[in-house]
Amino acid sequence: MNWRVLAGGAAISVPLVALLAAGFGRDPKLRSNALEGRPAPAFTLQTLDGEPFSLDEARGAPVVVNFWSTWCQPCKIEHPVLMSAAESYGPNGVHFVAVLYQDDASKARAFLNRAGSHWPTLEDPGGRTAIAYGVAGVPETFFIDKTGTIIRKVAGPVSQEIMVTTLEQML
Amino acid sequence: MIPELGRAAVLIGLAACSIGAVTGMWAGKTGRADAWNWTRYAAFVFAGAIAVAVGLMQAALIGHDYSVKYVAEVGSNETPLTFTIVSLWSSLDGSILLWALILALWAAAFAWKMKDEHPEHAPWALGTILTIGIFFTFLVSGIANPFERVPNPLENGPGPNPLLQNHILMIIHPPTLYLGYVGMTAPFGMACAALFSGNMSTAWARAIRRWMLVPWTCLTVGIILGGWWSYEVLGWGGYWAWDPVENASFMPWLTATAFIHSSMVMERKEHLKGWSITLVMASFLLTLLGTFMTRSGVFNSVHSFTQSPIGPVFLGFLGVCLVACVILLAARIDSLSPPTKKLEGPWSREVAFLGNNLLFTAFTFTVLLGTVYPLLNEVMTDVQISVGEPYFNRMSVPICLGILFLMGVGPALPWGRTEPGVLMQRLGVPTATALAIAIGGYAAGIREPLALMTFSLSGFAGAVTLRELTEPGRQRAQALGEPLPKALIHTWKTGHRRAGGYIVHLGVVFIAVAIAASSVYRSEAEMTIREGSTKSFMGYDITYTGTERLDEPHRWSRVARFDIQKNGSPLGQAEPRLNHYKKMNQAIGTPTVMSGLDEDLYLSLVQVDTEGKMASLSIVVEPLVWWLWFGGGVMLLGSIISGWPTRRRKDAA
Repeated sequence: MNWRVLAGGAAISVPLVALLAAGFGRDPKLRSNALEGRPAPAFTLQTLDGEPFSLDEARGAPVVVNFWSTWCQPCKIEHPVLMSAAESYGPNGVHFVAVLYQDDASKARAFLNRAGSHWPTLEDPGGRTAIAYGVAGVPETFFIDKTGTIIRKVAGPVSQEIMVTTLEQML
Repeated sequence: MIPELGRAAVLIGLAACSIGAVTGMWAGKTGRADAWNWTRYAAFVFAGAIAVAVGLMQAALIGHDYSVKYVAEVGSNETPLTFTIVSLWSSLDGSILLWALILALWAAAFAWKMKDEHPEHAPWALGTILTIGIFFTFLVSGIANPFERVPNPLENGPGPNPLLQNHILMIIHPPTLYLGYVGMTAPFGMACAALFSGNMSTAWARAIRRWMLVPWTCLTVGIILGGWWSYEVLGWGGYWAWDPVENASFMPWLTATAFIHSSMVMERKEHLKGWSITLVMASFLLTLLGTFMTRSGVFNSVHSFTQSPIGPVFLGFLGVCLVACVILLAARIDSLSPPTKKLEGPWSREVAFLGNNLLFTAFTFTVLLGTVYPLLNEVMTDVQISVGEPYFNRMSVPICLGILFLMGVGPALPWGRTEPGVLMQRLGVPTATALAIAIGGYAAGIREPLALMTFSLSGFAGAVTLRELTEPGRQRAQALGEPLPKALIHTWKTGHRRAGGYIVHLGVVFIAVAIAASSVYRSEAEMTIREGSTKSFMGYDITYTGTERLDEPHRWSRVARFDIQKNGSPLGQAEPRLNHYKKMNQAIGTPTVMSGLDEDLYLSLVQVDTEGKMASLSIVVEPLVWWLWFGGGVMLLGSIISGWPTRRRKDAA
């Protein structure tokens, strides 16, 4: 028996299997609902232009928080949906906020200059806000109602239909 | 009737497989010819029984027999015939049935091919393959039984997952990938056989290499087809996203590639035996891990199936296999004869292979860590967070550049000791090529260091490969006075293994260039165009000419038509669409890809307003994407040439 091989094999396989076993009972699809019905974690971050933005400022109005990045292709597909929603619902008092996820501010600025935006985009150093919201990938969008409660979380790009029905529900 | 017949066929398969597993091990232990024959017959019966089961399932799917559970889950009267057939692998239970079929076919192929070959290893190996078969057949007969009878069958079903019925590639991508995945069982069997028998002869090394080459080729093609599928279907103009399931297919590919190289050292220098065996075992275990990831519902991905009771059972099996491999390796590795020849270095072919193996192993661990990290983080902190593409790109780019470099240096180095003069002679032209590409590229305005390095190293590797492909022919032509083409073909025929390997390298060069060019020089835009008006992007003029609603039995689609001109000359009409499937809330797009030799124009429809006057598009222009698929074809060609069976000469017994 070669004990070195045995120890090496055990060192790799035991933690791996233990980890996978611990993953059971955690449905990644249901996970997205864990925050629904809970108060939205507060944050104060800086916009790409260096202005401070706090979620508290928007209290009393519905807020859409969108986590995105320029390396995420589905985010770009989602962008026009956010644009048209912000155009139609912004005047009705819905706040739209984007949080940049693991990305450079310069890249985001370049993208937004081309594609346009009607909302502040916030930098999230160290990904603290993303962690507070349990972001597992981008895009993820949180719909927060007037009382500051998350009423819906969408993982992946939000479709036009879901955007409109959720916004109507919040107003 | 089909539920009962199908179940019966599966049970016959399970019985045959179990008998074969026992007799195989027995034949390995005792060397008895009759036991070996029984094992082979068992493998044939296993394959036949599962083939019948799959045939019955197809009959049920095509005949819309909703009393069969699987048909009730994925069938629908409106789905076109092709996609009805394909829906065998559109959901969990069916895909495991397909898995069992492919495993049974591999077992039968092994039994047929190895009838009179490698008597010391073949019985152990087939016994191992059939033991793995027991598990999958057990799944099909029990918790993943697709043939379960539905008590009160409905008249119609929901139809398969819309994403999977959107493109023709869905017909060939999964089976090819499965052939590769499941095929890893065959070299795994041979690896276990070497440990059981304590014999690792050169003949064994050659045989296991061949049994690895075939599934490796399937896996390569499967992965590239998967990339092509996501490019053509998913609508964001990308072919790789480091999705857990993409990673799951990539990891065994990495270890298998490492093995294909280390096996050459094993064959020539009798070094790296234990290491090569570990790589084969790792490749097999990683396919199990990959399957677990897709089937368990633990990982979130485009590919993941619904949660099912299979997860824990599968994890149990993975754990048992892991433990068995580690114990077998630890118990038997010292019984393998130590290397007789010394490694010479540092400038030798075998040292280059060693470097290659280190890089491939590091790559595997990098991908593994990035894939399981979200889960680790969640278990520790209860918050799942993705490491995202930046991690994978940052880590993999230097490794890939290193591999590209070694792909150039390795083949130029001779086995054993290298004289400095030889190195100069062999690397002179390639180095000049690399420098010329770097300087030329810089002069032509390529400023991205990554792109510049990739192009330059690709030129280096490409030049070395071409030299290695043509040098023997050139020498022969000179020595014998033969015309060059004849001499070349002769050397390629006699050295087909070597020539095929180098052709695979050429394919990799194409792919490296394609990936660098298409990711660094990709331009994209989002635009909304009013009917009848034109917008321009990167030299393309895009005119929105109108929209139409198309109704099909299983879906309706919104098609938007665009006239495309490139630099003023018409290129054709693009018709990206949004498809709405029954019983699905989300629209799924079909992008239009207009491929050219230099670049692709990629249009996906985001939205059309209710009157059809305004269409929003996402537009991507990516250079050299076409090279990626072409490179995949070259890799396939090279592997076929390399793995083509050599006719054994009668006199060379």
